[in-house]
Amino acid sequence: MIEIKNLYASVETDDGEKEILKGLDLSIESGQVHAIMGPNGAGKSTLSYVLAGRQGYNVTDGSITVDEQEFTSLAPEERAAAGMFLAFQYPVEIPGVNMNTFLKTAINAVRKSRGEEELDALGLLKLIKAKTKALGISDDMMKRAVNVGFSGGEKKRNEILQMAMLEPKFSVLDETDSGLDIDALKIVADGVNALRSPERSFLVITHYQRLLDYIKPDVVHVLADGKIVKTGGPELALELEEKGYADFIGEAA
Amino acid sequence: MTQALKIDNLPTPKEEQWKYTNLPRVLGDVAELTPQEPDEILIHKNRGWIGEQAEEIVWNGTGGQLHNPRLKIVLEEGAQLTLIERHEGEGRYWKNMATEIEIGANAQLTHVRSQEDSDEGVQTNMAHIHMERDSTYNAFTMNLGGRLTRLDIHAVLAGPNAECGLNGVSLLQGQQHADTTILMEHVAPHCVSNQFYRSLLDDESRGVFQGKVHVHQEAQKTDGYQLSNAILLSPKAEMDTKPELEIYADDVKCSHGATTGQLDEEPVFYLRSRGLNEAQARMLLIQAFVDEVVDKIGDKNIEADMHEKAEKWLKQVL
Repeated sequence: MIEIKNLYASVETDDGEKEILKGLDLSIESGQVHAIMGPNGAGKSTLSYVLAGRQGYNVTDGSITVDEQEFTSLAPEERAAAGMFLAFQYPVEIPGVNMNTFLKTAINAVRKSRGEEELDALGLLKLIKAKTKALGISDDMMKRAVNVGFSGGEKKRNEILQMAMLEPKFSVLDETDSGLDIDALKIVADGVNALRSPERSFLVITHYQRLLDYIKPDVVHVLADGKIVKTGGPELALELEEKGYADFIGEAA
Repeated sequence: MTQALKIDNLPTPKEEQWKYTNLPRVLGDVAELTPQEPDEILIHKNRGWIGEQAEEIVWNGTGGQLHNPRLKIVLEEGAQLTLIERHEGEGRYWKNMATEIEIGANAQLTHVRSQEDSDEGVQTNMAHIHMERDSTYNAFTMNLGGRLTRLDIHAVLAGPNAECGLNGVSLLQGQQHADTTILMEHVAPHCVSNQFYRSLLDDESRGVFQGKVHVHQEAQKTDGYQLSNAILLSPKAEMDTKPELEIYADDVKCSHGATTGQLDEEPVFYLRSRGLNEAQARMLLIQAFVDEVVDKIGDKNIEADMHEKAEKWLKQVL
């Protein structure tokens, strides 16, 4: 169960602190998929960074709890160990670190923090093989540096691969669909759907309704000007697709 | 050479080429150092000679001495050699070295310098490289030691289709100063040159990279590339970079780039969001920064040796 209560957060900019989230409330039951949609500048990406604990994104009020564990004071790696995963909108390139090294280091870091036994080279190899196959990730891609020279689709599949390997209980997907063609979108959606289980929750942040045809949400929220302004079922996404966000932008202003 | 050099004969920062490196100040009173007879090593490989194993030279510095090492390497047509120079020493000394390399047609030289001079040691090294057609020179320098070091490389690509790669890593701390100054001279057409240098500077250390690619009018279809990246690990560390291109041919591909700064925070956050703690994330990124240059050597054993040296340094500094 994820509970976000009265969340206020600001971002450090060159012109000083700017308040982006203004009293956001959200709770996601275990096993549920929630979608957040909203116009540009509503605070969607800020929310994802605040949840992951990025430096420069400061919570000024309110709370984030995951299975009753308070998150706001935790470092990014502590959140990862506690089961939080953010699929980045713009996955970061890491020259000189190949995929295999990166995945091994990440998995064993998380396993260690969770009090689980670290995997040996063979165990890791088996795990990597099984997960990459399902996502159509080639051996060649695994030999390359993390995200360096990857296509848009490869980068997003790589995010899902990491998610599958780290087995989070709460995943945030930040515009994982943007820029993908329909085939890549299906692969990504299949990857997410394969992980759905009664213990896992997802927050899918998107600009487009299309993704929600493939990852069926239980609840859809509209985020505008730093707050949830409307909540409904999957039909809300269709309504937004038809009418756009004009109503909500007006309301917020 | 048996007469002591006078301090006012040494190059000073007033000279353009020595602007960032104050040799007289670091050397202090040269008269206190005892000049040694030139220590000469000549390596000559006949036509078609292929080295199965890397050869090694150790240059040792001794406190109170002015060493004058001379290294000459001649590779005849088609010869192939991998050479490792190890620079070591103890106490305050000055190694004033000259290196002369002639690479014949279609010959290949891999030249690794592992520079671990003493904390007070000074090394100046003037290297001339002459390359004939279809030859390859692949150099790598690991700068770890020395109070002040300056490697001045003058490479002449004299025959077509020669390929020259000059790469290096400087890992500096305390008051160390490492200067790499390069003149890459493209005389013949269809040659390729690469310069790739990376520095990690801690404490009050200072790195200098001055690299110039000079493309003569006849050197059409030149492909010249130059890159210097430095990461400052301390607010008092300094990097001086001066990349230069001087091009007289009209059909060439040349580029250069230089960056100096702190470790980028975005990859740090990305790695932390995947469970690595901050120290692990920084270590992995900095190691990768170094490894990318080391991996240019192309000899797995030597690369492993250099990786190990870098890792040891990083563990002690980070």
